[in-house]
Amino acid sequence: MTDAVQEFEAGLARLGGDVTATFEACADEQALRAANAKLVGPSGELTGLLKLMPKLPGDRRKELGQRANQVKQAIQTAFDARLAAIARALREAELSGPRIDVSLPGRAVRPGGQHPITKTIEELLDVFASLGFEISESREIELAEYNFGRLGFPPDHPATDMQDSFFVKGRTGTQVGGGGDEAVVLRTHATAIQVHEMLARKPPMAVVAAGTVYRRDDDATHSPMFHQIDGFLVDKNVSFAHLKGVLTTFLKRTFGAEVPVRFRPSYFPFVEPGGELDIGCTFCRPWVGAGSDAQRARTDACRTCKQTGWIEVLGCGSIHPVVFESCGVDPAEWSGFAWGMGIDRIAMLRHGIRDIRMLYDNDIRFLDQL
Amino acid sequence: MKASCKWLRELGGLDASADEMAARLTRAGIEVEAIERFGRGLDRVVIAEVRAKRAHPSRDKLTLVTVFDGKGTREIVCGAPNVPAPGARVVLVEVGATLPGGLAIEAREVAGVRSEGMLASEKELGIGPDHEGILVLGDDELGKPGTPIVAALDLEDEVLHLSLTPNRADCQGHLGVARELAALFGKPFAPRLTLLPSKLLSVLPEAPLGTRALPVIESGNGHSGETASLVAPVEGVPMTVPIRIPAADRCARYVGTVLQRVAMAPSPFWLRYRLHVLGQRSIDRVVDVTNLVLLELGHPIHAFDLDRLDGHRIDVRLARAGERIALLDGTERTLTEDDLVIADARGPVALAGVMGGSESAVRASTRNVLLEVAWFDPRSVRRTSRRHGIHTESSHRFERGVDPAGVALAQRRAASLLTTLADAVCAPIGVDAEARRIAHATVSLEPDYVRAAIGDPSITDTDARTILEGLGCAISPGEHSGWRVTVPTHRPDLTRAIDLVEEVARVRGYDRVPTLLLRPEPRPDAGPSRALLVRQVRRAALAAGHHEAVNFTFLSAADLSRARVSTDAVALANPLSEERSVMRTSLVPGLLANVSRAERHQRPRGRIFEIGRRYLPSAGPTGAEERLTLSLVAFGTRDEWLGEGPSVDFYDGKGAVERIFDALGLSAAAHVADALPGWLHPRRAAEVRLAGTPIGHVGEIHPDVADAHALATRPILAELDLALVLDALAARGPRQVRALPRFGAVVRDLAIVLADDVTLARVEALVRETGAPLVEDVQLFDLYRGKPIADGQKSFALRITYRDADATLTDARVDEAHGRILARAASELGAQLRG
Repeated sequence: MTDAVQEFEAGLARLGGDVTATFEACADEQALRAANAKLVGPSGELTGLLKLMPKLPGDRRKELGQRANQVKQAIQTAFDARLAAIARALREAELSGPRIDVSLPGRAVRPGGQHPITKTIEELLDVFASLGFEISESREIELAEYNFGRLGFPPDHPATDMQDSFFVKGRTGTQVGGGGDEAVVLRTHATAIQVHEMLARKPPMAVVAAGTVYRRDDDATHSPMFHQIDGFLVDKNVSFAHLKGVLTTFLKRTFGAEVPVRFRPSYFPFVEPGGELDIGCTFCRPWVGAGSDAQRARTDACRTCKQTGWIEVLGCGSIHPVVFESCGVDPAEWSGFAWGMGIDRIAMLRHGIRDIRMLYDNDIRFLDQL
Repeated sequence: MKASCKWLRELGGLDASADEMAARLTRAGIEVEAIERFGRGLDRVVIAEVRAKRAHPSRDKLTLVTVFDGKGTREIVCGAPNVPAPGARVVLVEVGATLPGGLAIEAREVAGVRSEGMLASEKELGIGPDHEGILVLGDDELGKPGTPIVAALDLEDEVLHLSLTPNRADCQGHLGVARELAALFGKPFAPRLTLLPSKLLSVLPEAPLGTRALPVIESGNGHSGETASLVAPVEGVPMTVPIRIPAADRCARYVGTVLQRVAMAPSPFWLRYRLHVLGQRSIDRVVDVTNLVLLELGHPIHAFDLDRLDGHRIDVRLARAGERIALLDGTERTLTEDDLVIADARGPVALAGVMGGSESAVRASTRNVLLEVAWFDPRSVRRTSRRHGIHTESSHRFERGVDPAGVALAQRRAASLLTTLADAVCAPIGVDAEARRIAHATVSLEPDYVRAAIGDPSITDTDARTILEGLGCAISPGEHSGWRVTVPTHRPDLTRAIDLVEEVARVRGYDRVPTLLLRPEPRPDAGPSRALLVRQVRRAALAAGHHEAVNFTFLSAADLSRARVSTDAVALANPLSEERSVMRTSLVPGLLANVSRAERHQRPRGRIFEIGRRYLPSAGPTGAEERLTLSLVAFGTRDEWLGEGPSVDFYDGKGAVERIFDALGLSAAAHVADALPGWLHPRRAAEVRLAGTPIGHVGEIHPDVADAHALATRPILAELDLALVLDALAARGPRQVRALPRFGAVVRDLAIVLADDVTLARVEALVRETGAPLVEDVQLFDLYRGKPIADGQKSFALRITYRDADATLTDARVDEAHGRILARAASELGAQLRG
């Protein structure tokens, strides 16, 4: 009896000793858990001690049991504290340890590069859309009637010639080309959109369309296939001043409000009055320090604008009455304006592309840069 | 067109600088692309007189020339073969001068003899094409020894390079440009032209029957103080030539004027120089005069050797089929019945308005000339010029339209110049055959319309009237408050009121047009723009890692067959080359060319896509159907985190297609297809279906096609028709979501061994069907072939997710379903549980 009490009490005294020091001596979690198991594990000291409980006298059992519980709790508390300290030390070691090599490559699917032509078209169309124009499109293989005749090209206009435009072979294998309206051409501009839209519905309308166009030129600055954006607006009481206002706004939004715009007369069969809009050269920027020696030197060395300080960007004009008449719209009631602009050169300007062939070679080393 | 500012000033009396003229012209729509300056960089180049010449002591080809430069004499060593006799004047480049070509002149010894300068040729001075010898001044040229040649020869000039729009035929000569400048600067225009011939035949002939006489001296407009001397006609040489115009619709008027006793000789320096700055070569005095008149008046004229015109007659007629003519350019042409010719009794002597014949051309032996001044139909000249591929200064102008009222002026101007410069004696009249008269156009114009069309209420009636009258229009009262505007014949482009509106806006300057904004009325039923839908597809393809290409839409028939795409293509009637002669029927050949290019440039891996049209022959109005198409290619090795993985295969292509459609919110799936396009591997490709409808294909390139393109890799290709995709995109609503599950899922793996030809699709379908409704998802997470699995077999490891939407799943239910699946896989697919 007494032996049991003595043994129990001695055990409690041993176990209630400096548990904290024992645990402090453990360097890592594994050692700590082993030390803890020696005390409170299935074959631990405290567990063994508790097996003596039935042998203890009834009057002491409750008191000794409570003491054993206190010891157990003290061990647990010391264990938890040490475990937290070890975890913290590990975390501190991680946080102050060696850095990873952040210069190793990231792991990602790289998005592809968008082609400068489509990128430019998208951005320009967005500006027109914001000005209230609908985006449309039409066919590339076009009736000469739509590409020329209804747009007021005189029958022998050079553009209607085999020399300047691509004609499509007839289905029988014979050639339909030669200028007649029944001929089929690769469209030489995107302007036929006017014919399609005006034949399809009634004014008012404001439409812009972008697409591939074709002319029989092939040299350092001309590609036989290139791209244009064409647009037009028809409403009542539209004047030349509206054309100037809308297109100037478009150019300023596209190239920057500070870029000067120049409007000068020109000629296209389907507009009258006709004009061209130039912007200040965005490469030598002659409006920066205009008139200074530095500016003049910049412009004199500029290959982009050929030393003129200006870049032609679009042709435009009030829609010619002939076009209205050929599309069943009464020019006494309706008026409007139209414009067309080449995309390729604008794309080249924006991306610093010097050679037009780069646009269509699709060299992967070129595409990689986009 | 090139225009000499000096000439413009002489003609119009304008004193503006070249820069001022250029700025004003450009502002008015006659774009000046460049200003070329002449007579610059010739400091220390002076006139010198030859005093003596002697042979070089040791060199045969060199001459020692003593010249007087106004201050003293000096000896020059000269290598030219044409050193003139003492007394003649030459051009001396002084020591210290630098010539326009960059040659610096120093005093130096030439083969042992000291040379104090250099005697120069036209070419060395940059004032003419001649480099055969040194420039020797004629007796009629001014300049004392010592005078700088720039002053003596009046070399300073600026030449404007005009980019003329095709409507401005009137500016194809200096006279028209000077007239335009006068209007632009608000000055009256009275051209200063000498029109009086200096020598006339002393006999007044009559015009042949059916024609009229056109006097070379305009009656009632005598030039004070100037007279023409009269010279007897040459015996046997006609004074008039009968002219007939059977092709009256092709030639409105033809005036033939005889000039006798012409002196064929090189032109004087001023004439040569004038031609030189305008980019023309001097030929002889007669040809130079015809060119001068063309450049001055914009009216092409021609001189025939009168003695070589068979029968001394002119017919302006259509050629007979098969008729031949030898032309001035040395070629011989066979004519068609659509070619207008000038013919003598024997046959064609000129291609009307395009080029003269060589037989009838003036030459050194020419003594008598027939001068042609005519008005040919622009379309006729254009057709002939194009048909024969001959583009000349003459055809260029006739095509665009020459002033029909300018015929008499051109005749008189040419007669005057030929009599003064070529010493010719002019017949007092030319024979004037006028087939039809081209009337002045009249146009009704309301001044209010001008203001409304331009959008500028501040333009007054007087502003508009002043501008139109300045351009040569005559204005008289028309109906109501309007005007009746008579348009000058040199402006055939002005036919409607709107044309006159442009003139007012143009001369005032477009910079003065007000700036007004307007807002297009939005259309409620416009619907989604296809262009914006295409953009979604493009974004998705880019996001899936593909670069975008824009390839030529035309290629060669061989490109189509090499890529094994349809060769039933829309062909061009007039391609630039065989390489670009048919419209593509597929985007695949273009992408394969891109791959081939990448391989050639040591970049043999990547992903590219193109969105563009294919063109398929059809029964539509244009004979072609344009199908918007998305094509993809992946080639080379797959990307790994570090370095490269294995080569891409079918599944990379399929994955790209899936990624793109995922991004679009559409589901497209690859299906086994028996019929595959020829460019795909018959065993490693699939059909792509969108909601069950085939839209294209994806797969590995056919190895033979890869070989035909000499490719080192086996690209994975896809080509998808976008029409249905865009429709589906337009119809697709926002993505719909399901409620989240309330009960947990149980995940079980199943590893089975199967025959190689059992597809995942079959296994998955069996699992889903057998395990329904508990199977929520089936994922293949491992595919293994090889030991210990027998040949012809493979192992699939599947992860099956089970869930009951309405209750917590018990292991027993899962076990039961899993067991059922395995049993059925065993019985139906021959699957065995992998040990």
